[in-house]
Amino acid sequence: MRRILFLLLFSPFVLHAQVWKNKEKMGKIHFFSSTPMENIEAKSQTVSSILNSKTDSVLFLVVVSSFEFPNALMQEHFNENYMESNVYPKAMFRGKMKEDIDFTKDGEYTCTAAGNLTLHGISKPYSVTGKFTVKGGEVHLVAKFNIKLADHDVKVPKLVTEKIAQEIATDVDVTYAPYVKK
Amino acid sequence: MKKHLGTALLGLVMSTSVCLAQDDLLNEGLPTRELTLATFKGTRIVNMHTIENPGKRSLEFVIQHRFGDVSQGAYQGFGIDGGATIRLGLQYSFDGRLAFGLGRSSYQKMLDGFVKYRVLRQTTDNHMPISLTWVSGIYYNGQKDSKFNDYSAAARVSYCHQLLIARKINERLSVQLAPTLVHYNLVDSLNDRNTGFVMAFMGRYKINKRTALTGEYGYRATRIFASAGYYDSFALGLDIETGGHVFQMHFTNSAGIAEPQFFAQTNTTWKNARTWGVRLGFNVSRLFHI
Repeated sequence: MRRILFLLLFSPFVLHAQVWKNKEKMGKIHFFSSTPMENIEAKSQTVSSILNSKTDSVLFLVVVSSFEFPNALMQEHFNENYMESNVYPKAMFRGKMKEDIDFTKDGEYTCTAAGNLTLHGISKPYSVTGKFTVKGGEVHLVAKFNIKLADHDVKVPKLVTEKIAQEIATDVDVTYAPYVKK
Repeated sequence: MKKHLGTALLGLVMSTSVCLAQDDLLNEGLPTRELTLATFKGTRIVNMHTIENPGKRSLEFVIQHRFGDVSQGAYQGFGIDGGATIRLGLQYSFDGRLAFGLGRSSYQKMLDGFVKYRVLRQTTDNHMPISLTWVSGIYYNGQKDSKFNDYSAAARVSYCHQLLIARKINERLSVQLAPTLVHYNLVDSLNDRNTGFVMAFMGRYKINKRTALTGEYGYRATRIFASAGYYDSFALGLDIETGGHVFQMHFTNSAGIAEPQFFAQTNTTWKNARTWGVRLGFNVSRLFHI
């Protein structure tokens, strides 16, 4: 009996209602670079995200080369020259939610997550505020934050500094459902 | 106690496995492999096609220009003053895989059209180790020439079919092999063949993010034109990428810019005892998003 108790104590069993994962194709990351010379935007739906209400953790993973630009050449430059996506194929955020949210209760919740964003191989601490909407067993998240290119050592050649913003406005939009093991 | 410690350890191991499981869960539903990008910078090395096509909904406009051969000497600006050939070309792809092209070059007043399809694409995990592109072109010689007088317009037509096999070996080095079939509907003499096989070799070495050294060589395994005075096409070049443009500068011994011309009818050699048959040239390509 004590043995079982010990096991329970040390192993946080993943109960289904504690883990939420984005529904298929229901995770979006979009970014926007705005300068007087040129606006550039791209989005990806090759995004994976997990919420864990037990550990209060929130995780995001995106395949860098999946960002779609309106212009194929820009997309090639983004991957080849800036993000070096062959070397750093994925970008990841691991954060802890500061507020305790009951994802089983309908309502709107504002929440701040603090954690690390690893992009272009470099991790930086971020604090991101987003809004959760819980309705009918689904959780919807929208959040906005800015990424400084210099923070992640993304180099912009002098020739195009006027066309690429130093801070990239990024937003995420994810719909989660309780994770059921397949 | 020892027993309990063991159980606690087991619990800890299980909890770390939960952490790992979380990363597995995060990767679930994401694609496991990606396509290798930018094996070559341009859709051509110098004259010869690379496996690349313009991207989705992209129109590529290309100006290919070759000056006269450098053996003309200083008075003629080493060929820059005269004997130039030029090709203007357009190429469009809707999906980034299938492309159509049209062009006209001054040498033999050649009209050309081609279809190019990226059949296989290399993946970063080497599940697919190579990229394979198929390209077929049709060429119409528009020059006034008495040799065509007794024939229908079909005599002016030639073809070129190629399988382009490339591998991006690493970030800097890409290589390509291209078995090539060239066919002329009308040749010059009884000793000539109508169809010839060429094995073409191409490569690119990136010096830095925006510049690369390139080279191409077409080995004529079977010769279409039997008479002496034809040579294998060979070129060395420099690719410079400037935003929406790719600028390519090179030296080649081929004056013609259409495939049958440079594969089968290159009539100057790089260098022999008497002369330099090589010429300076450049390609400028501009991509438009439509």
